Amino acid sequence: MFTTIKVAPMTRIEGHLDIEVTVGPVNGKQQVVEAKSSGTMFRGFEILLKNRDPLDALHITQRICGVCPIAHGMTAALTLDAALGVAPPTNGRVMRNLVLGANFVQSHILHFYHLAAPDYIDTTGILDLSPWTPRFVTGDMVSGTVAATLVGHYVQALAMRRKAHQMGAIFGGKLPCSPTFVPGGFTETVTAQKIADFRVLLTELRGFIDGVMVPDVLAVAGVFPEYGAMGRGCGNLLAYGVFNLDTAGTTKLLARGRYTDGALATVDPAQIKEYVKYSKYSSGTGLNPQVGDTAPSATKAGAYSWLKAPRYLDKVHEVGALARMWVNGDYRNGISVIDRLAARCLEAKKIADAMDAWLNQLTVGGASYTFKDVPATASAIGLSEAARGALGHWVGISSKKVSRYQIVTPTNWNASPKDDAGRRGPIEQALIGTPVKDTTQPIEVLRVVHSFDPCLACSVHMVRV
Amino acid sequence: MNITRRDLLKAATAVAAAMGIKAAGFPDAEVLAKTGGLKVVWLQAQSCSGCSVSLLNSIYYDTIEGLVLNTLDLKFHPTVMAAAGSTAVRAAEAARLAGGYVLVVEGSVPTGAAGEYCYLWPGVRAVDGVKAYARNAIYIVAVGTCAAYGGIPAGTPNVTGAKGLRDILTGKTVVNLPGCPTHPDWIVGTIAYILANGHAPTLDSSGRPTDYYGRLVHDNCPNLAAYTSNYRSRAEGGHAGGQSCLACHRNNDSDVRSPRQLGQAGCLYPVGCKGRFTYADCPARKWNGGAPGTPGVNWCIGARAPCHGCTQPNFPDGMSPFFTLNGPGA
Repeated sequence: MFTTIKVAPMTRIEGHLDIEVTVGPVNGKQQVVEAKSSGTMFRGFEILLKNRDPLDALHITQRICGVCPIAHGMTAALTLDAALGVAPPTNGRVMRNLVLGANFVQSHILHFYHLAAPDYIDTTGILDLSPWTPRFVTGDMVSGTVAATLVGHYVQALAMRRKAHQMGAIFGGKLPCSPTFVPGGFTETVTAQKIADFRVLLTELRGFIDGVMVPDVLAVAGVFPEYGAMGRGCGNLLAYGVFNLDTAGTTKLLARGRYTDGALATVDPAQIKEYVKYSKYSSGTGLNPQVGDTAPSATKAGAYSWLKAPRYLDKVHEVGALARMWVNGDYRNGISVIDRLAARCLEAKKIADAMDAWLNQLTVGGASYTFKDVPATASAIGLSEAARGALGHWVGISSKKVSRYQIVTPTNWNASPKDDAGRRGPIEQALIGTPVKDTTQPIEVLRVVHSFDPCLACSVHMVRV
Repeated sequence: MNITRRDLLKAATAVAAAMGIKAAGFPDAEVLAKTGGLKVVWLQAQSCSGCSVSLLNSIYYDTIEGLVLNTLDLKFHPTVMAAAGSTAVRAAEAARLAGGYVLVVEGSVPTGAAGEYCYLWPGVRAVDGVKAYARNAIYIVAVGTCAAYGGIPAGTPNVTGAKGLRDILTGKTVVNLPGCPTHPDWIVGTIAYILANGHAPTLDSSGRPTDYYGRLVHDNCPNLAAYTSNYRSRAEGGHAGGQSCLACHRNNDSDVRSPRQLGQAGCLYPVGCKGRFTYADCPARKWNGGAPGTPGVNWCIGARAPCHGCTQPNFPDGMSPFFTLNGPGA
């Protein structure tokens, strides 16, 4: 007997996501046989960016998402660097990396403890109050003293992510949403006090990551080993790379690359196409973000998501910490729910550790910014990463105004619906084959979906020429 | 030495008063225990979640863990609640039917295509859900500029018909806490006021608590003397009106006496600062504090970034362009 169940709204993500799965017996085992991932909110950022001053994009794109605004600030700055033909001085490049790094660390702590961990912990008797009740309680959840310890760490992690934002604001002015990212560099100036204050918080965060977060993720992996073989999905990984270690961005802390059909390869953004057969847009399908004309169509027949279906070389690719760490050679244990959680916390450690050395590259009182005028006409691409994965901005400038601005976000890749050829998106594929013991408490579905760290505000966009 | 929460709040109040920051005045722990916590239903419409993330940074009046464990009874919040799907919806609906809650809305509400651009959950469009939840609420709070006035989703051409609560819930009193995102203290301080006084605080003509939005950024800015010396006579003498010098002049124009660029210390008016038109206590309170009762570590203008007017009803269109760096022209 096959039943269709909806987890709608999905919670402990960012934004609006409905998950629908069809569950039934296959070889005697009850599991997911069909899955649909639907974004249910649309704003139209690309349309409203049109005709604005290009530097307005620095602020506006950050409001695509309040969990990863800095990634958009960085990507918009990189895109405008390219459009204007300017590069930041070292202080500017390093401060951009430090503020983005601070937000990555914040985001990864938030994701594991506050978004994902509640799927694995029975908080009955520990946190018997809203918003931790009502909740699913399944027999496999950790309970007792282990649960109490994890709940204590959950509370400690709230303070830690707050400190990560405090740390980022030392240079970034304020978080979330930092006004300091500009083409040609960064507005803030470097002082010895700021470096010292940043380092104090960074040291505390590194201690937390090493001493608490990594052990906790490994503990969850140990209690739920079957999730190391669940939620694999498409098996292809894509990373634009992030944290430029030199002016040109040829060397990055986490490299650009992909893992397609079992082999590592290079990335050419011209190979990205977005399909809309199952997406709520009434226009051209199979188009690169550089071109195309799209209009929202709220009631289009057959469409079930506001997300488009981006594909690389017409193949489905997953993005995120696992993709980055895999491409960079830092984590190649496998692709599964547990592997995503593990790669994410190890990436948090990698970034936090690197940030300490970056502080030494700052020059007190040195230049942070180089001015360059906005040209009358330009066309440029900026490729970087949000905590959740590969992020790209495509800008066209005409008469000094934005003529076109397109954004393909990480969750666009991960939570995408089927493409025109019927290939399901990464989350949909990861759900297929997932066992579901109790259809009234489909905790397995939550664990698989949460492993991707979905952020739907980012993912819903449209392409306009 | 055992410092109680009461001691901290007393100390915080003293510091706050000295700095011109509105103190919280949280009620006694006994009062909170008696009331069982202030029930909150937090709905997200066309939200980026930035205001929720900002609230997580709360420290000045109380931490988020302190708030959720001691003060608030958070019945529904999609980003943090344990329940998902129909379990979560049932929790929200039970709260709605029981009444007696503060409705918080984050994000603008789309009205185009009969509200199809945003669903709270299956079958419930944001525009309908927000109205239903407002009906049974004892207070309605619009957190962030989007919920208050439409914000960025309502920026021209606003294809989704995004609106703020004041246009969706006509006839109802809405406490607006704009900001993009809003400051955690403005949320926590307002909640504390409501708890302590049993009514909403004094609101300005844009529905904002005057405690936090009563002064222009400009009037409190450490660069005010530099503005007065260098730009005031031109800007306020009818020459430039509301715009910076570089809105019309290029930096190498002989009329521009001291060319200005980003990264320089001093008044940011020439490079596009909107502090003269923006009501918020950012210069005193700052952002991202590290301890209770302590102002933040930095803020936009402190980081040499011009204010972009994010608490104002006309944000973003009325504040655009955010930067004026070298004037118009080819």
